Amino acid sequence: MSRQKNKLKETNQIRAYLAMTWYSLIAQTRNPATFAFGFIFPVVFITIFGLIGNSTQTLTIGIPDSTEPNQILTVIEEQSYMKLKTDKKSVLEQELVQGKLSGIIEMQPHDVTITTSVANPQQAQAIESIMRGLIDETNLRIAGIEKPYLTLFKKELSGRQFRYIDFALPGQIGFALLSTAIFGTVFGIVYLKKTLVLKRLFATPARPLSLLLGQGTSRLIIALTQTVIILGIGIYAFGFYLPHGFQTFWNIMIITTIGLIAFLGFGYFFAGLANDENSAGPLVNLITLPQLLLSGTFFPVENLPSWLQPIANNLPLSYFNQAIRIITAEGGSLGDTDKFIAGLSIWGILMYALAARTFRWE
Amino acid sequence: MAIGRKARRKRIISDGSIIQVSNLIKKFGDFKAVDNISFSVKKGEIFGILGPNGAGKTTTIEIIETLQEQTDGTVTVDGFDTLKNPWEVKSQIGIQLQSSNFYPQLKLTELLKMFGAFYDTNVDAEKMLEKVNLIEKADSYADNLSSGQKQRFSIATTLINKPKIVFLDEPTTGLDPQARLNLWEMVSDIKKTGATIVLTTHYMEEAEKLCDRVAIMDGGKILKIDKPKKLVKDLLAKGFKKKISRQNATLEDVFLDLTGRHLRDE
Repeated sequence: MSRQKNKLKETNQIRAYLAMTWYSLIAQTRNPATFAFGFIFPVVFITIFGLIGNSTQTLTIGIPDSTEPNQILTVIEEQSYMKLKTDKKSVLEQELVQGKLSGIIEMQPHDVTITTSVANPQQAQAIESIMRGLIDETNLRIAGIEKPYLTLFKKELSGRQFRYIDFALPGQIGFALLSTAIFGTVFGIVYLKKTLVLKRLFATPARPLSLLLGQGTSRLIIALTQTVIILGIGIYAFGFYLPHGFQTFWNIMIITTIGLIAFLGFGYFFAGLANDENSAGPLVNLITLPQLLLSGTFFPVENLPSWLQPIANNLPLSYFNQAIRIITAEGGSLGDTDKFIAGLSIWGILMYALAARTFRWE
Repeated sequence: MAIGRKARRKRIISDGSIIQVSNLIKKFGDFKAVDNISFSVKKGEIFGILGPNGAGKTTTIEIIETLQEQTDGTVTVDGFDTLKNPWEVKSQIGIQLQSSNFYPQLKLTELLKMFGAFYDTNVDAEKMLEKVNLIEKADSYADNLSSGQKQRFSIATTLINKPKIVFLDEPTTGLDPQARLNLWEMVSDIKKTGATIVLTTHYMEEAEKLCDRVAIMDGGKILKIDKPKKLVKDLLAKGFKKKISRQNATLEDVFLDLTGRHLRDE
């Protein structure tokens, strides 16, 4: 009879798994680090990137108070993207050199002089071509030519304007995922090991696999919530675009799940290597920082030197970021991301194999 | 197979012992932490393992608890071999480790319920906390408890599965005299429920007060096993005389007389 009872206990690992999932989830929601790295940081980044993408560029032009205005001034004043600033010439020149002004415009009855600086080469070029256009237009108007011999028309193919947030948001999903899966797991498990909490848990009839799976599941729930929040802010506050609506949303969730499972492998592996918080810190930074910089989280991989690109492109976070960008920016399907999902899976399998060799309960 | 086990269990029960350790050896590299020891623990007794640091107490107790595997020898707990049936053993016993830390950011009630799920049993968390005098801390995290409170909570977690055997590894180390007295009462109460208790300690007074039998270990070997009174008697029979004549009170009695016996936690 007692044997039968034991048999029953042995098979009920589901309850242990569910309990570990639930209580680990509760504990994580009370942990300030979960919020800082998983929610607040990505949201702040998204907000900053969203604002960068939304601001239209303005050119600030200095006009020395000694100048004699001519007709061009009224034309400049009509341009909404040009801001005018009047001051002493010497003051304006200093601001130009500091890059605070795009250019200085001086007017004589029949001359317009533009002064630019190498401090701001892009704006210098922009202001020169804009002024050329404005002067031509003004000349034609004064000459009374209503219909010039040649006219330039601009046509735009209908399409979506690609903004920085379209690039940045997928990277932030990756960043949040990396924090939860690697920072959270390594520091969490190292703490449990060091304080012998893990040993106490493994002294119960709950199998280690049930407990580790439960921990992993709770992190998956956190990661999916992060993704939903980041997407939500991106969509509602900054007009981030999901090409196929809910289909795209589900695909993002599927890739997030695959990504989290792979990154958890890194977490378990490094939690096995590290004995205390002091060795965990450098180890975690060693794997996460290069990935954050190289994997196209904040700027595209194409901006890196060409010899570095093959390495950068094959990092697990790169695979994840690229898969998410195919789904969102390119409107692709899950099938289009197969290469990257395969790459993520290989990294994941490698890490779980290593984790199985290094992991110790205490 | 089932009949075989039944027969073996019967034999053990008639023998009166619930734990049997035979020729147990544990090596770490060339170092023998446990060096060929054998003993048995009787059902319902409080069995103490005494010894200086590094004697092999914790290693021995952790092998019985299935937390470590022996290099050689056999251990049976309630008829189950610890190597062949570790999961049956785990579900029959309650364990207090030397360090009483708990899952961070969980309240005491939540911790008890979580342990309950791991033992696949339903826990009345409030009732358990009342039992160990911690009900007013129900919503605290374990990290915010004093060391005495932690030990009491730790004992509550060992009782979740109504274990046949409770293991306490140095339960009173680092406690003030009041907390120690309180813990002794708790251990006596557990014994009254019919459970068997195995504890390790450095404190001879503790062993003398609590234990029905003690094993004295050093260097991985058991030097002697017997009732505390019998051990003292044997020593006296050898002609031993204490150098200083025995006082009728100790400094601890003075301390308790001045500060009282009621429990402090902060």
